[in-house]
Amino acid sequence: MSLHPSTPSGTAPDQVIANEPVNLSRLFSLDVLRGIALLGILVISIWEFGGFTSNEQTFFRQGTHGGNYKLLSIVSILFEGKMRALFALVFGAGIILFMQKKEHPVPLAAPDAYIRRQIWLIIFGVFNAFVLLWPGDILFQYGVVGILLFAFWRMPARGLLIAAILCTLIYCGKQYWNYADDKKGYKKFLAVTAVEKKFKQDSTVRAKKDSFDRTKDTVLLKDTLAKNKLMDSLARKNDTLTKKQAGEKGMWEGMIKDLKYDSSKTVAENKAIRASYGKVWKHLMQRSQNKESNWLYRTGVWDISSMMLLGMALLGFGFFNHRMASSRYVLIAVLALAIGFTLAWFRIHFQSIKLADYARYIEKYPVPFNQFFPIERMLLATGYASLVMLLLRSKFLNWLWQALAATGKMALTNYIMQTIICTFFFYGYGFGYFGRLQQWQLYFMVAEIALVQIVFSVFWLRYFTMGPLEWLWRCLIYRKWLPWKIKEPHAITDSPAL
Amino acid sequence: MDQHNSSGTPQSLVIPMQGTAGAGEQSTVRPVTRAERIKSIDTIRGVALLGILMMNIPGFGINWDFWNSILTGPRAGKDYYTFAIVFVFFEGTMRGLFSMLFGAGMVLFMQNKHELPGRPTVAEYYYRRLLWLVLFGVINAFVLLWPGDILFFYGLCGMLLFAFRKLSPKWLVVIALTCVAFGMVKKQWDWNETREKRESYTEAMAAKKEKKELTPEQQGAIKMWTEMEKSQKPDTAITNENLRKMQSGYGTIFTYFIPRNAGGEIWYMYNEVWDLLVMMFLGMALYLWGFFSNRLRTSTYMMWLLIGYGIGVPIAWAIFDKGFMSFGRMGLYADSWSSSHMVFAEFRRILITIGHASLVMLIFRSGIIPWLMRALANVGQMAFTNYLMQSILCTLFFYGYGLGYYNKLKFHQLYYVVFAVWIFQLIFSSIWLRYFRFGPFEWLWRSLTYWKKQPMKL
Repeated sequence: MSLHPSTPSGTAPDQVIANEPVNLSRLFSLDVLRGIALLGILVISIWEFGGFTSNEQTFFRQGTHGGNYKLLSIVSILFEGKMRALFALVFGAGIILFMQKKEHPVPLAAPDAYIRRQIWLIIFGVFNAFVLLWPGDILFQYGVVGILLFAFWRMPARGLLIAAILCTLIYCGKQYWNYADDKKGYKKFLAVTAVEKKFKQDSTVRAKKDSFDRTKDTVLLKDTLAKNKLMDSLARKNDTLTKKQAGEKGMWEGMIKDLKYDSSKTVAENKAIRASYGKVWKHLMQRSQNKESNWLYRTGVWDISSMMLLGMALLGFGFFNHRMASSRYVLIAVLALAIGFTLAWFRIHFQSIKLADYARYIEKYPVPFNQFFPIERMLLATGYASLVMLLLRSKFLNWLWQALAATGKMALTNYIMQTIICTFFFYGYGFGYFGRLQQWQLYFMVAEIALVQIVFSVFWLRYFTMGPLEWLWRCLIYRKWLPWKIKEPHAITDSPAL
Repeated sequence: MDQHNSSGTPQSLVIPMQGTAGAGEQSTVRPVTRAERIKSIDTIRGVALLGILMMNIPGFGINWDFWNSILTGPRAGKDYYTFAIVFVFFEGTMRGLFSMLFGAGMVLFMQNKHELPGRPTVAEYYYRRLLWLVLFGVINAFVLLWPGDILFFYGLCGMLLFAFRKLSPKWLVVIALTCVAFGMVKKQWDWNETREKRESYTEAMAAKKEKKELTPEQQGAIKMWTEMEKSQKPDTAITNENLRKMQSGYGTIFTYFIPRNAGGEIWYMYNEVWDLLVMMFLGMALYLWGFFSNRLRTSTYMMWLLIGYGIGVPIAWAIFDKGFMSFGRMGLYADSWSSSHMVFAEFRRILITIGHASLVMLIFRSGIIPWLMRALANVGQMAFTNYLMQSILCTLFFYGYGLGYYNKLKFHQLYYVVFAVWIFQLIFSSIWLRYFRFGPFEWLWRSLTYWKKQPMKL
């Protein structure tokens, strides 16, 4: 949000203003990146789909050794948060491309088409979460944040970059804020336990006095003992914790308990998901609502908007249409990946320390283990994107990029298809494999689904110009049945991109 | 935020917006000049704006236990009658009227503005305007410390409304009624859950009476119900903490309100957004029919007045009455009613709101109290300023860092404060608009939206 209008374009080739038309309704590189992000997302989503819950992860993370821990750490470093970030990056770039599109199948102003597209995306998201029962859905959030960012699409690339950085910093600030709350909770807990300790000491002192008095054989012994008893009962009455103190103590203890691995939780969750549709629906209802309300308000809006804004900025800088020199991509990739992986490694390291003993962690470290996670995923997503851009430039593995681009073109279809396949495989009303696969088996499952989706997308796009849901989406936006079959071999594809 | 200066197009990029109304600049994107404003809309908006304070004042000035004391107290006395009148005639309707006008305002903003090639579209200005509104809402809640803020929600709802602006009024009404139906189903759903809990509680209690051993589920059912009943009763610890905090300085209240504001914004936006959308859609439809711009026949307004009040008020009374019955006797209520009385609350709200709007239009048209209508129009023209001013005045009057009258007035006495604020705003708005084009916050909002300092003085 630069207050001063920046200088017009032409100062440097990479400082192109975002609203200068890119002259391509569809960028091959964006399709490829979207395909990669889409398939990559499942590597992390499969945890929740397949019953490798955070509780189960804690079991391995508290050990900090063994194959499962290493595998989990590697996947977390390489994929966790990054693929979603990449998805949002591409989505952001897509906003500008959509707004610059000159031709719409029916005469409709770009803003109208755009807002309708977002509202339908929200509805697809609600469907994905509450009908297909995937609480990890992000379409809803993308729809909402996309509307919020509409007012920014004309902003110069540099302004967008600043906005993206600002959002990332706010996100980091939020991470710290949550930690500060935990810290406060721990301090209160310490204060309450100190009070309790004093109560205990006082009662020992009284007991000592009582036993000492008993040794004295005086006439007044009976009276003294009665007095001691009365004093003790009075003190006990005063020495109980107030409701507030008990609450503060319970709060911290509850949190610590939640951080610990608890096998009964896994048993309960497995039972709840390996159930009929109605039961699973009821069980996941609140989780989905929470993701769409609480998470979106507190974290999601920063998490998603930072990456979308960066994507919009990168498009303006010419990142996605090869307007940068190769050396620039190399530089971005090397720097981003080096810093990103370092941050990721530290995150994994400190997360284990936290899980081992959170109280000690709080006493020792000023920031939470995930303090720099927003920066880490932003850097790594950008680094991956640069690498892909370099590879695309080299024309190496061309068939693979074509296949990934096909997958990316049908991102909405493929995203929803992942939900359908996974819920049907893991949930009780399908095959009920929830919680029955090992971590490594889950990743094999991901590879298989990826293969299926790539093959399916390539074949589908031989006969149709767009994926089935892309077609539906488009028909809904323009309120008209649109053609989608390929009559000639080289029809131009032009479907709304995620 | 703004970048039209750097869009690279060769045209002159200065937005003409000076007060040379009627000149050849009508067609460009710019704020509405004073002459173009529709007086009747401003008047209704003024009524709604002042009316909103009636509903907000308990939130500003009194602890929520008042609710309990009135509902369990005798059904007589000044407090009771004030409460009854406010609840039956106004609850939700002023917000409703305000929402209707917000919807109408959206259509107005988009009308009569034409696009210029290579420049930000009207839609973009519209979304910028709403983003600023969201930000103002956040400031109103978190900085001015008014947890009852609605600007935040208006900003977000407005972003959805855009897609519906070209629909015919008929379709808008259909959509509004769908939202109502959705809300009704949801309320009934919640009520069914309450009744289920009640049933399992009664069964468990019956088993307990027969000295049977209770299953863990039955114990859970008893616990759940008793806790729910308990949660409806005032908790002195929470009340005392509230009273103590509200008498403290700015910093304490600021931190005290953070979780409340955040929780409120999340919950309301996700769960109660229908409440606003229904009225906004209806407002758009009514505007398109010419209702707010004084274009219907007197008999039509008369008819809507009769329908609105005639059906709405009896429902409102029934809801109010049932509210007493259910309060503190949740169990009895759940046993005897298969449907909650709140299911029809939305219809009551719509009907009474339309009744109010018709009444104002009839008075406006009859021209019987022109000075008051003019003053109300001025208040309405500065609605944004006046809304924020209500937060500023009331927090300073009630909260600890101001005069500290929090919870020191009786319920009916709160309405003396309301009258005082009304008179102040009526006079202030009239004087201000004699010298300036816009209210101060309107000016700020416009300047931010167009990213250019707007002319202020007349």
